[in-house]
Amino acid sequence: MFAEFHETIADIPAAVRKHRDRLGRPVVGVLPAYFPLELIHAAGGYPVRLWGAGAPIARAEAYLQPYCCSVARSALELEMSGRAELIQAYAFTSLCDTLINLRELFRRLFTKPVLGLSMPVTPSAEGRREFLCAELANLLQALAGITGRRPSPESLRESARRFGRVRALERELYRHRREHPGNIANADFYAVLKAGFFLPVEEYERLLDGLLHRLEAVAAPRVRRPRVVLSGMVFEPLNAQGLFDAVGADVVDDDLASGWRSVSKDPLPVEDLAAGIDAYLFGGAPCVCIHHPGRDRHDYLVKKVRDAAADGVVFWYVKFCEPDAFDRPQLLARLEREGIAATVVEVDVSTSGIEALRTRIQAFCEMIGGLEA
Amino acid sequence: MTRLAAFKPMKELMTRYYIEAKTAADRPVGWITSGAPVEFLYAMDVIPVYPENYAAMCAAGHQSVALMEAAEAAGFSQDICAYARTDFGQDLLRGGPAGGLPAPQFLVCSTNICRTVVKWYEVVARKYRVPLFVVLKRPFDRDRLQAAIELSRRASGRWKQILELGRSVPTPFTSLDAFIHIAPIVTLRGTAACADYYELLHAEVSERARCGIGAVPDERYRVLWDNLPIWFKMRSFEKFFEERRCALAAATYASSWAGIEDAAELATADARASLAASYLNLYINSGFAQRIRYLARMIAEFRLTGFIMHSNRSCKPYSVGMYRLKEELCRLTGKPGVVIEADQNDPRVFSEDQVEARLEAFIEAMASHA
Repeated sequence: MFAEFHETIADIPAAVRKHRDRLGRPVVGVLPAYFPLELIHAAGGYPVRLWGAGAPIARAEAYLQPYCCSVARSALELEMSGRAELIQAYAFTSLCDTLINLRELFRRLFTKPVLGLSMPVTPSAEGRREFLCAELANLLQALAGITGRRPSPESLRESARRFGRVRALERELYRHRREHPGNIANADFYAVLKAGFFLPVEEYERLLDGLLHRLEAVAAPRVRRPRVVLSGMVFEPLNAQGLFDAVGADVVDDDLASGWRSVSKDPLPVEDLAAGIDAYLFGGAPCVCIHHPGRDRHDYLVKKVRDAAADGVVFWYVKFCEPDAFDRPQLLARLEREGIAATVVEVDVSTSGIEALRTRIQAFCEMIGGLEA
Repeated sequence: MTRLAAFKPMKELMTRYYIEAKTAADRPVGWITSGAPVEFLYAMDVIPVYPENYAAMCAAGHQSVALMEAAEAAGFSQDICAYARTDFGQDLLRGGPAGGLPAPQFLVCSTNICRTVVKWYEVVARKYRVPLFVVLKRPFDRDRLQAAIELSRRASGRWKQILELGRSVPTPFTSLDAFIHIAPIVTLRGTAACADYYELLHAEVSERARCGIGAVPDERYRVLWDNLPIWFKMRSFEKFFEERRCALAAATYASSWAGIEDAAELATADARASLAASYLNLYINSGFAQRIRYLARMIAEFRLTGFIMHSNRSCKPYSVGMYRLKEELCRLTGKPGVVIEADQNDPRVFSEDQVEARLEAFIEAMASHA
């Protein structure tokens, strides 16, 4: 049922090359979250999302200090080591200070075009719209330089519909997991999501349709196992995705920037594109990287845990991610007040050593769910 | 180095400022980031308080470690900005030279220096249950704003002239002097006391320049410092550089408060637009192409023999990509440059031996270059 998703992520360059050759669209590497992929698609590009390459850092050491997160370092490593040859251009959002400077570094080091979408911070919707209008004018022009054309109103509508539907299908998958814990192995679930970073949207939509159809037939009741909500930026490295399966626990929901925080976004409204991007960026689940005083993450996370009947939260902390680190102590205190168990694991998406992680996750799951040691 | 006579009045000015901030019951206190337009607050009788300035004072007074440890014990990771950790610590322990900062009634935060300040102030906003990016329910008087902007222009204009006196050979005023005398321009710009203070300092530094008095005796090397100071190393750096006849003649960081006079739009009637233009015109808020042009221009105008870049673990907007900037700047100017790994506020991640070895090698490179 999950073979095609696993095949995609087992050899990402092969999958991307195959689809690029078939579609004839230039591949745009997106770093990493909340860039409206619809814009790239509507302009004739093929967006792929880069959340860490799972390979050791060697060449990137020359330009990125050890205190930069592994998502940034592995993106640079990928390009410097020649393994990003399929990527013809990059698109950055201003998620954090490291990524803003990484965008500048890419512009100085490489000749590939680099797009940027700066996300506004002001609480005034009018101010944000005005800012985004100016951003968009530059962005669409730069995009046309890569793909050869600007998005038309029709192509924007079609891309918004297509990506909106894919996110709705992904939400169905989340719903299924929440309602039937254990029906989908954790490694399979995140393989599905990760395949979506790299497959063309049309192909991914087809695969998701098929998967959800087949999942309807699978609803075997399972023994109740410890239930976990994951919170963080991204559930990487890849070989860690099976850890919860290995210790006999179910991830029942997540609060990941690469997961639910992206999946929860409504279709991009395209009639007034600047207002639409504003709604897109500030809509959906709250994120550590998007300042939104009206939508506090604390209530949101508590509700998520309750709704999923989870036993605890695992903070999947990509080391040196400042936005994530700032929020955590107060969030942990709130969870404690609510009687919700939580733990923090520190990860580096560019390393494959996961034994220490396994020990930690096992201990936590034993604690929350009465797993036998 | 001969201490400037203006040091004493500056200390008195800052002491008065902190006493007033801690004792004034009739005026609201707002916490504000160093790059935010404070003129609005002074025009509305608010006392602006700068956790960044206070954190730097704590580190310069060798009090930051205990405060950061308190923040870390409360769960804040060592991965986050050391200013923020020092601030969280002063709040927990009521520590530092002023015995902690007065509680804020609101927060003003501007991302022209970094996005990290938003996360920092979100934490403070949750703790104190105070609004971030506030609209004040106080009378707003356009004339008072104009007056505050005028005072701000006067102060930053003088500050700029003082920094430009660093072009004199020998330099009468080093970046280490600038880092000491920077406190009023950060915290009090928009007030008469601040503008008056920089008149005083300017007079003294101009006189030094006129008489050819160098801050570093027998100056041989003239160097640019990029990034924030290493606050807990001010004294030892002073000695280190003096012994090697090396004057830090220019600094990107000190110039961050010298831009207000530059904005041509200041002459226009719309005070808000002109302020916005000047506050956006910051080194740290610019792309790498502009940064390289700016650095190269400083190296030429200040007749520098090299440059030091502080790869500052606490300040990613300044530091990420720095190794590339160094490469390009060396190529462009033909001058030696060095990157040192350190932190603005956290001595625990500072390796004395490593930094000194790099600086020694850099000075040797300048010697052979000359």
